[in-house]
Parts: sequence; structure tokens; C-alpha cells
Amino acid sequence: MTTDNQNNKESYEIDTLTNQRLIKDHEYDGIKELDNELPPWWKWLFIITIAFAAVYLIRLWVFRADDLMQSKEYQSEMADVLAKKEATNANAAPFEVTLLTDEASLADGKETWTKICSVCHLLDGGGLVGPNMTDNYWIHGNTVNDLFNTVTNGVIEKGMISYKDQLSEKQRLDVVSYILVDLHGTTPANPKAPQGELYE
Amino acid sequence: MELQKFTYDNRIARLFMMATVLWGLVGMLVGLTIAIELIWPTMTNGISWLSFGRLRPLHTNAVIFAFVGNGMFTAIYYSSPRLLKTPMYSELLGKIHFWGWQLIIVAAAITLPLGITVSKEYAELEWPIDIAITIVWVVFGLNLIMTMVKRRTKHIYVAIWFYIATFVTVAVLHIVNSINIPVSFLKSYPVYAGVQDALVQWWYGHNAVAFFLTTPYLGLMYYFIPKAANRPIYSYKLSIIHFWALIFLYIWAGPHHLLYSSLPDWAQALGVVFSIMLIAPSWGGMINGLLTLRGAWDKVREDPVLKMFVVGVTAYGMSTFEGPMLSLKSVNAISHFTDWTIAHVHIGALGWNGMLTFGMLYWLFPRIYKTKLFSVKLANAHFWLATTGMLFFAIPLYFAGFTQSLMWKEFTAEGYLKYPNFIETVTQILPMYWIRVLGGTLYLTGVILMIVNLLKTAKQGTFVPTEDDEAPALNLKAHGVDKGHRVIEGKPILFTVLSLVAILIGGLVEFIPMFMVKSNVPTIASVQPYTPLELQGRDIYVREGCYTCHSQMVRPFRSEVERYGDYSKSGESVYDHPFQFGSKRTGPDLAREGVKTGKNYKPDSWHYNHFMSPQKMVAESIMPPYSWLLKNDLDISSTPAKIRAMQSLGVPYPEGFADKANEHLQAQAHKIAQGLRDGGIDVADSKEVIALIAYIQRLGTDIYKTDNKPLFSDK
Repeated sequence: MTTDNQNNKESYEIDTLTNQRLIKDHEYDGIKELDNELPPWWKWLFIITIAFAAVYLIRLWVFRADDLMQSKEYQSEMADVLAKKEATNANAAPFEVTLLTDEASLADGKETWTKICSVCHLLDGGGLVGPNMTDNYWIHGNTVNDLFNTVTNGVIEKGMISYKDQLSEKQRLDVVSYILVDLHGTTPANPKAPQGELYE
Repeated sequence: MELQKFTYDNRIARLFMMATVLWGLVGMLVGLTIAIELIWPTMTNGISWLSFGRLRPLHTNAVIFAFVGNGMFTAIYYSSPRLLKTPMYSELLGKIHFWGWQLIIVAAAITLPLGITVSKEYAELEWPIDIAITIVWVVFGLNLIMTMVKRRTKHIYVAIWFYIATFVTVAVLHIVNSINIPVSFLKSYPVYAGVQDALVQWWYGHNAVAFFLTTPYLGLMYYFIPKAANRPIYSYKLSIIHFWALIFLYIWAGPHHLLYSSLPDWAQALGVVFSIMLIAPSWGGMINGLLTLRGAWDKVREDPVLKMFVVGVTAYGMSTFEGPMLSLKSVNAISHFTDWTIAHVHIGALGWNGMLTFGMLYWLFPRIYKTKLFSVKLANAHFWLATTGMLFFAIPLYFAGFTQSLMWKEFTAEGYLKYPNFIETVTQILPMYWIRVLGGTLYLTGVILMIVNLLKTAKQGTFVPTEDDEAPALNLKAHGVDKGHRVIEGKPILFTVLSLVAILIGGLVEFIPMFMVKSNVPTIASVQPYTPLELQGRDIYVREGCYTCHSQMVRPFRSEVERYGDYSKSGESVYDHPFQFGSKRTGPDLAREGVKTGKNYKPDSWHYNHFMSPQKMVAESIMPPYSWLLKNDLDISSTPAKIRAMQSLGVPYPEGFADKANEHLQAQAHKIAQGLRDGGIDVADSKEVIALIAYIQRLGTDIYKTDNKPLFSDK
């Protein structure tokens, strides 16, 4: 604000510490107010954010920009993944389900067991919500292929879900091998009563 | 000009001060307790009213409405009379306000641990308490407005503007968000459902932050910083611009709590852009606070009051920058549902609200007791404890939030989730929860030092119950003819009305289309009302505060769809009074928990064992045991009233169903309990856990139904 006449100039008191003008008659319980302008950087900050808002809304409301519509965003994320998956599947050799006994596979199987299976079958395999995996009774067969199938497709009516979307084929085979090689035949703390048929 | 004599009443301000200190201590103790529960989940084993889900709402309510609430009233009852040169309008209204507010707090402290809750965050209190809040708030508003009417100064100061905005907006927010249909004396259902309820709730929740934690404290800042520093306000023009911009823009930003939810894109976008536009208006307040200290920085070095103000206002600047950043969808995709949010709000609560309150108390106590502060050294110690406590609280939680979110999103090269079991992402961040407890303990220790210091100050001084002052009578012709903003500063009622208009616009623009335009919530034919047992189970879910740790909102990301199942649609929650989207995933999302072919399905027996002892099923789980659900019988006497209340809200149960509802309930309970008994679990049909299992097994299943046969036949 420029002061173009003497009267106006006199209506200001000066703050002695900052040498800035105090506004006349602005005093509340001893609190005075300075007549400073808005800091220019602050004004620009405000203007830029308003411009951002305008562009954002116009992009969504007028131009229907794909990246601002979440269903489109999701579709494009999933399309990318699908394309990648197809590319890898095309090159992959068919997966062979045979019992693994090497240490690395069994260790990996144990990890999966601990993280996922133990939630229902308990860490020592004794069973609680799911059946005991240490005894000789099996509900859905006792071969590698039987167990692999159960893990892959689940047994929904019994509460066993399918893990084909959560574990890779190798992970599934590792954990099945871990069950048959390491877990089976051990003595759990509180074994669940036998379920299924006896396999000698 | 003839001077009129009048007095200021320090007694009412002192009452509010004492309440601030007391409830601050309580609120923070509860906070520390629940922080410890997260690392020691079995600490309160089997004591329902001490479980995390029930105490977390008590913590938030106590800190917001009891600690900050009383802090705000202290500031208002002390500063308004002095700024307006008149005593508060009515001592009686002041007393009703004070004691009414404390009674409400006590009622909250009793009902929330008992699980009496609506489950809408920071609006959990049941309808009789809501009505009491409304009455007390009107008493407060009347007292404030009449004080302005009786003022002796022509214009009202910026602190008062913020007090006005607070009164007006909180009244609107509280009333609109609390419209519930009572089922019984202590149970009600919100009239809104699903995503509409969520929109109303977060319009409220966000603006509770804005108009309960921010605007009154800006008013506090505008009075106590210039008083304590004895410096003029940096810029009157900035005051005007940032005040109006802040209150107008704030009200729109609520949808940023619902980004990537089933809220329509257009509404989410409003949440994003209005949050971004809030940066400058918020920083206007920070600049005006900090630059007011120019010429007084030498004092800041020595005076604990000013030091606290500086850290408080700086924390305000930080969190009002961080907030808009969190409102960008790309950042929110990472931060939401994690501890990042907890860190963010505590920069606000511990930094802005806490430090400003402490500074005000250290300044006020010596004045109303006509003495010096007992120990400046002790206050300085408090300052450092509070500052380091805040950092030890927030930094580990930033780290925890970021780490956990990235773990949730990480895929292996083969395209599987790297951490498919949720618990892995929890154990990873537990050390951070320990450090958070340390931070909270430091902060609380500081508060205890303050209490000692203030009590000693009071003891060494003599209380001044009233202070005399004098001023000429109100002269509206004084200082000539007003121009510009000065005009409305001289007309407080007009000012109040204009504030009301400013804060109504945003809400109306968002609500009207959301409620009137059908395409905003596309219906899904297979989505049906809950069975009576599921409804009762849902009320247990609400009672236990499950929503404080579990969301029911799968966001449209590959990582969430892989982990939980199809992303949530708005049509799925149309019968959800109240919505249960949640805001934090301390445990996994439950939106698709009941889907048998889904990713997370667990049989009934798993849930039973898990409620009895989560650690039995997941050794490292930090969920507390819910053993009382296994012991308590479900209260089925409430079923008909609940069905009728739902019917009155438009939930399509067949006519006359209310009276037959318990038959249906018992049949379903028997089926579930029999299944458990067949699996060797000894449980009666009548237990609460059966209802909760029924509800959980229903979650997320409706959209997979192939036949659209109604659940309940009309005969």
C-alpha cells in the first residue's frame, strides 16, 4: 500500500523492533497488528495449489483421464501383470510332481508350513482345526500327487482353501515334501484324533 | 469518555484448566496402555473393558474432547472477555457448560469401555450422550455469542473469529453425523448406510480435526503468542485471508479418508484437491504465529512458554503439509491403513495441541495465582521430554507404516505375494511399537513434571478469583466508517452467519449428489440384509471395536485383490448401518473373510479357537483373546427391536419379520454350534461367539451368490 498523502502516513504507528507499520486502532487486550502484506511466496503457493486443483478436476470431470479413475487404474495394473505372466508361462517347462528330499527344498517347505499351514494344522503337525499330519490316517490320499492336489485345489467343504494363487508350484511341492519326509511319523504334543483311512 | 468498571472471572478459566490437566493425564495414560497392549496382547487377558478395541475409542475421545476440549474452553473463557472487554455473558451458563462437559466425559469414560458405541470414529458416543453434547454445546455457543453482543470493543479480534468458526462448525458436524435411530436406551443405528455413512462420518471426522483440534487452537495461538512474546501480530491481512480460506476449504476435504475406497471417483477427487489447496491457508496460520515472534527470538531461547509455542506451531506446519501429501492418491495408496497415519496425527496431537496447551498453562498459572512459575528448569525439562517423546513416538511409526505397506505390496518374481501371511508383516514392525511406547512414556513423564510444577506454583501463590478492568462503553461509531473486512468485524452476528455459510457449502456439494444420484451407489441384486444372528454378531463386532484394527475395504490394487479377494464395491454395504470400512489394519482386512473360495477363508472352528486364544492359532499374533464371547450368552431380547429399527431405515426385511426373527436366529445358531460340536468343541447355541462367527462368515459373500433368492421368504 503506498501512502500518497501526509494524513495517511500519520495514521500509522511504527513497531520499533521491526520498523514496520502497526495498524491504527487495532488493539485488543494489548495485542496490536502489523500492516504487512501477504508474503509473495505464500501467495504463489496458494495460487499454484488452486491451479493444481483446477487441472486435476478438469482432467477427471471433463477429459475422464484414465489415471484418475480407479477402476481403469486397476484394469491397467492387472493387464500388465497378465501379459507378463503369459510370457513366462509360454517358456516354462511342464511342472513335474515328484517327492523332493534335498535340504533346500525341505527347508523352504518348512518355512511355508510355519507361515501358512501351521495356522490350522499346528506347528508340530498335530492338527487342531485341520487334521493331524503326522499319523498314518489320510482323508484325501497319501501320495505326493494326492497332497499336491489337496494343497493346489483345496477341499472347500472342509475349510481347506486352494493355495494355487498364493503359493507357486515349487512352493507347494516343497511343503508337501516337507510333510511327507520330515513331519510325518513324528510325535506331536497334542495329536488330533485320527481322521480318514489308515494307509500302511 | 466515561470508563465503565467490570471484572473478569478467573474461577471458570481455572476450572477448565484443572480439567485440561486431569483429562490430559487420563487420556495419555489410556494411550500408553493401549500402546503396551499392542506389544503384550494378553496383558488384560479376558477383561473385556480393558481390551484394545474398547479402550482405543476412549483414548481418542479423551484426548480430543476432554484434554483439547477443556484446553480450548480454558483459552476461550480466559481470552474472550479480555479481548471483548466484558465479562463472559453468564456465570451460570459457564458453570452449566463446565459441569455438563465434564459429565459427558465421565459418561464416555464409562460407556466406551463397556462397549456402548456407535463405532463411528470420534463420534462413538451413544445417542443420549449425543443429545447432552448438543445441549452443552448450545449453552457454550450462547455464552460466547452473547458475550460478543455485550462487548465494549467495536471490532472482534482474529482469535474470536476462530472461536466463532469452531462453535458453528462443530455444532453442524455433530448434529448431522449423529442422526441415529435409537433401538434402546444405549443402542442406536445411524440413518446413513455404507459408503454414504462413510462420507458423512469422514466429513465429520476430518473436520473434527479441523474445527476441534485446529481452529480453536489457532484462536488460542492468536491470543497467547502475542501476549507471551509481547509482540504485534505479523500480518492482519494474512489473518483475514487464511481464516476464510481455511474454514471454507477445510470442510470439503473429508473424502481424502476414503481414497481408493468404494466412494465414487468424483468425490475422492474433491478430497484430494481441497486438501492440496489447504496447504497455504494452514501455513498462513503458522507464518502468522512464528513471524509474530520476530524481535522476540532472544526470549524464545529462555522462556519455556515461547519454546513450547514455537515447537507447537512448527508441528502444525509439518502436519498440515504432510496431511495434503497423504491426500495424494499415490501416497495414500502406501500410507493408508498403516501406522503412518498414527504418526501423522500424533505430530498434530502431541506437537500442536499438546505443546500449545502446555505453553498456555505455564503462562496462565503464574498469572492467576499472582506469582512466578515454581521452576523454569522443570518446565524446560518438560519441554525436552515432550519434544524427544514426540520424535520417539512418531519416527518409528513412520518407519513401521512404510515398511509394512511395502511388505503388503511386494510380489515374488513368480508373481506371488512375498508375504502372504499377514503376521509376517506385523512381527517385522513390532520393535517399532516398543520404541513408540518409550516415546509415549517420555511424553507422559513430561506431563507429570508439569503437573508438579503447576501445583507447586499454585501453592506458592494466591489465587486471584476476579480481575478488575475498565473500558468505555461500546461505541459503534468509534474509529469512523469501516471499510472492507472491518465491517463484519464490527458485526459479530453477521460474522457468525457468514462463517456458517462458508462451512456449509462444501458439505452440501458433496452430500446432495451422493444421496440423490442413484448411480453413485450402484445396487447389486444379490446383496441382501443380514440374518438376525448376523445382525447381532455385527453389533458384537461394533461393541468390541473390531474396526479399530481391521478394515473391511479391499482397495482396487493387485496386491490387495491377491491377498484378500475382489475389491469392495459400494453396492455391497448398502445395509451397513453403520459402515465398518475401518481406517487401520493392525490385523488383516476382513471384507472377504467369509468367502469360502476366497483367500482367507477359515472354518468356524478356527474362528472359535482364535477368539478363545489368537496366539494358539497364530503364535505371534498381537490380537487380544476374547474369552468372554465364549462365556456370555447372546442377548436375543433386542432382536425384534433391532429388526424394526433396520426396517425403519429401509432395510427390506419382510413385514412382520421382527416377531419371527428370533426363531430364525436360533435355527442358524444351532446349525453353527452343532457344526462346532461335531468337530469336538463344547459350545452352546446361545453364546455370543456363535453370532460373531455367523457375521464373519457372511462378510463379502453376497456378490458371489448365483441365485437371487431372497434370504427370508415372505410367508
